[in-house]
Amino acid sequence: MAEAKPFDTANIPGPKMAMIAKTKAVASMIKRAKRPLLIVGPDITDEMFKRVLEFSKKGVQVVATGSAIKKFVEANVVDNVKYAVLHELTSFILDPEWPGFDGEGNYDLILFMGTIYYHGSQMMAAIKNFAPHTRAIAIDRYYHPNAFQSFPSLWKKEEEYIAMLDEVLAGL
Amino acid sequence: MFELKEGIFVLDDLRNVSIKIGEIIEEEEIEKAIMGPTPKPKIADLRDWDMFLLKRYKPFYAPYCDMCCLCTMGKCDLTGNKRGACGIDLAAQTGRIVAIACAIGVSAHCAHARHMMHDIEHIFGDPSEIPVDFGSEIDVVAPLTELITGIRPKTVADFKKVLDYCEEQIVQVVDSIHTGQEGSYLDYESKALHLGMIDSLSKEVADIIQMCAFNFPKGEDNQPYIEIGMGTIDMNKAVVLVIGHNAPPAANIADYLEANGLTDEVDIAGICCTANDLARYYERAKIAAALSRQLKVIRAGLADVIVIDEQCIRADILYHAGKLGIPVICTNDKAMHGLRDMTKEDPKDIIKYILDGAPGVAVLDPLKVGEVAATIALERRKKRKGEIKPVLSEEEFMEYAKACTQCGNCTFACPQGIRIGEAMEAAENGDRSLLEKRWDVCIACGRCEQVCPKNIPIIDMLNFAAWETIKNEKGKIRRARGPVRDTEIREVGAPIVLGTIPGIIAPIGCGNYPNGTEEVYTIVREFASRNYIVTLTGCMAFDAALYKNEDGQGVFEEFHDRFDAGGVINIGSCVSNAHIHGAAIKVARIFAMRNIKANYEEIADYILNRVGACGVAWGAMSQKAASIATGFNRLGVPAVVGPHGSKYRRAFLGQPYRDEDWMMYDIRRGEEVRVEPAPQDLLVAAETLEEALPLMAKLCIRPADTDRGRSIKLTHYIDLNLKYLGKLPEDWHLFVRTESDLPLAKKEELLKILEDEHGWKIDWKKKRILEGPMRKYDASFNPTNVKRIFEEGPLPLGGE
Repeated sequence: MAEAKPFDTANIPGPKMAMIAKTKAVASMIKRAKRPLLIVGPDITDEMFKRVLEFSKKGVQVVATGSAIKKFVEANVVDNVKYAVLHELTSFILDPEWPGFDGEGNYDLILFMGTIYYHGSQMMAAIKNFAPHTRAIAIDRYYHPNAFQSFPSLWKKEEEYIAMLDEVLAGL
Repeated sequence: MFELKEGIFVLDDLRNVSIKIGEIIEEEEIEKAIMGPTPKPKIADLRDWDMFLLKRYKPFYAPYCDMCCLCTMGKCDLTGNKRGACGIDLAAQTGRIVAIACAIGVSAHCAHARHMMHDIEHIFGDPSEIPVDFGSEIDVVAPLTELITGIRPKTVADFKKVLDYCEEQIVQVVDSIHTGQEGSYLDYESKALHLGMIDSLSKEVADIIQMCAFNFPKGEDNQPYIEIGMGTIDMNKAVVLVIGHNAPPAANIADYLEANGLTDEVDIAGICCTANDLARYYERAKIAAALSRQLKVIRAGLADVIVIDEQCIRADILYHAGKLGIPVICTNDKAMHGLRDMTKEDPKDIIKYILDGAPGVAVLDPLKVGEVAATIALERRKKRKGEIKPVLSEEEFMEYAKACTQCGNCTFACPQGIRIGEAMEAAENGDRSLLEKRWDVCIACGRCEQVCPKNIPIIDMLNFAAWETIKNEKGKIRRARGPVRDTEIREVGAPIVLGTIPGIIAPIGCGNYPNGTEEVYTIVREFASRNYIVTLTGCMAFDAALYKNEDGQGVFEEFHDRFDAGGVINIGSCVSNAHIHGAAIKVARIFAMRNIKANYEEIADYILNRVGACGVAWGAMSQKAASIATGFNRLGVPAVVGPHGSKYRRAFLGQPYRDEDWMMYDIRRGEEVRVEPAPQDLLVAAETLEEALPLMAKLCIRPADTDRGRSIKLTHYIDLNLKYLGKLPEDWHLFVRTESDLPLAKKEELLKILEDEHGWKIDWKKKRILEGPMRKYDASFNPTNVKRIFEEGPLPLGGE
């Protein structure tokens, strides 16, 4: 049974908490989105990083936050990757008039992976409550109650988690 | 009854008149200075300034809780910015919670100041007999007091009316938080900013009066070293451990030891600001640790008696101290922990009560604490062996390691998400290095122990694994020096404003770091090496002192402690943060000759535009940290917090792509100008250290930088990005006004990028920018954000 338990046990924000995301539904949402954005934080493993590059190849704009950008630099794959301070980036996402990284406008689906857990959770709380023009989906190893939908807590089951990422990628 | 207003008047031919004199306002003082527009401002008096800040630095809300539970009409579900039963929406409710946090924080500092005033009267007598005199190098003794209230204090007693003002403002704002009052999130933020300003003022009062009464250092540099670290505690002596923020009881212990020739027999070690302030009074004091090691110190048994005063004390201190039989003496009515109050009893009876086995006692008279604490420590010392050992035996440690089932409950409960189970498993297999490494990342909150199904004493396990680290943790920190001297400001005012000293970095606040204490050392060393001025207070000052360079020197040994380029200065305790505000205000007063008397808006505007300072509270945890940061923000100083800081729920973040948010007035040219986003944010959380370092450098950029100064600042911003993130920042071009703004070593490379990636026109023969920047560099640019100053100019100095 998928575990809808926040990684910080007491992180219970209120009546609206994320549904457990199913991989096919996530793939479908990404495909339907006009401008999906994948936020990649520093808490990622090498296997996760490989999947991030796959998302990028499938046309999802990737933005690295925190020190995650170093992984891209070290892998020499910086061309399609942006860097942003997550706090600043989320405030831009809250603004419907933000022109985005390419001047084409804001993003209508925000995927989160690898952010420092509690900080990322706060950013999703901001999006949940103050950005009706977009939705946050956590495709992280941890259940994120503030997302619209979230993968379950799988931090002790990395293979199972990576398999879910692969299923999403296969559906794109 | 006829009441006269303030002023000078003459009474002739009085008969049958009784005269009651209130405050005497000296004629000389009235004539000297022009009073600014906002003496003792009320909630709404600086609202225009706040609204300017809030337009540019929009409150960004990340609610920690989507409900309101404050009245019986609730709980109310505010998810999606819905309104609750009282009509408040989630944005206003979040602003309200921020205001509550700031109210708690400012109350702690203001109550501390008031408590200090009472203690001073009790210990030293009439405070009007204690002069506020910091010597010949400091004329502006209380810059915040002068800026906010218009008062220039001459004795400690003069601060009583300042405290009266602070207390009234706090009550007025707390009233606005009641159900059915304020409904605008912007006004809640304005009120929070007001409380932040009052917080800074309260801190100045608290620190100045203790400096004057207890004769602390008054801004002198080259301060002596104080021993710091858990390994410095000499367990061959009796040990008194003091914890908290209000030092008079600890000072009384020092007095007692000196008066009775016991200084070689009793060690006083401290945690948190009491330690810092005690060391300003008693050089032999040792600083055991910062807040985040409180439980590690207690559970390691490094005390014969614990003396607590106020703030940052664990609520369960009796439980943990009691496990090792260490008695606790409460010395402050704010934290009495259910203990018997024996304040009025004979010290000998109090000592007997404790030595007969009581877990602790309340002694609220600081003049009795010394005898009680020292005697108890000496008596308890006689009953134990010299060297302290870990509380667990080798066998117990292994048994607990084997008992761990790696269920993960501890990790779910841990604020840092530490994988404790992995480390336990490794320990079971003979590798204790994981536990040892995680000892430093752990902030010893103890939540893991609460949820462990096997009742493993996890903190004791970590202490056991890190015992060698604990024994060898020995560093040096400068004794806190307090304020920045006017003479120092005369030397560095120009380089700071022109930008050739790239900035003032102020590591302050608590120890809830995301990844251990070493990051604090890295922050300090990185910026000091780059000729920033680094001013530290509180727990971050302590933690910075725990690490050494390749030559075996800590940052306080490697760098001087002058307020000058490359300085690393222990300013003092939490309340000493006021002196960092003070330094910025003095730049306006001494370098720019601005009138600071009751002239808050103008000076905050000056600082925001010209003084490249940035606070960093990497482990901000408390409500005090919230009010401290908010106070810096209202004065125009941005702050970076660690990733836990987003749990404060509100940040102040700019949107650099919005032209209308970055318009300023140029007084000299009489026109509005679109300026670069500098500083971009007023309060922002960084996710990792690698992100924080370049971000701090960026937040030191100011619109008024000269081209040489901007070039230096951009050099560091770009260099720190390359060093820690591996690439150029994405926004560096926004800060380029002219080719001479560019870092010299990279000029051609960057010109090429400007041409290729941003479409700027470059004259390659002359290596000049022809087109591209949002504005041209103008050496005479005289910026302000305040229309009144634009139209009328700065407030004249007057006859001072």
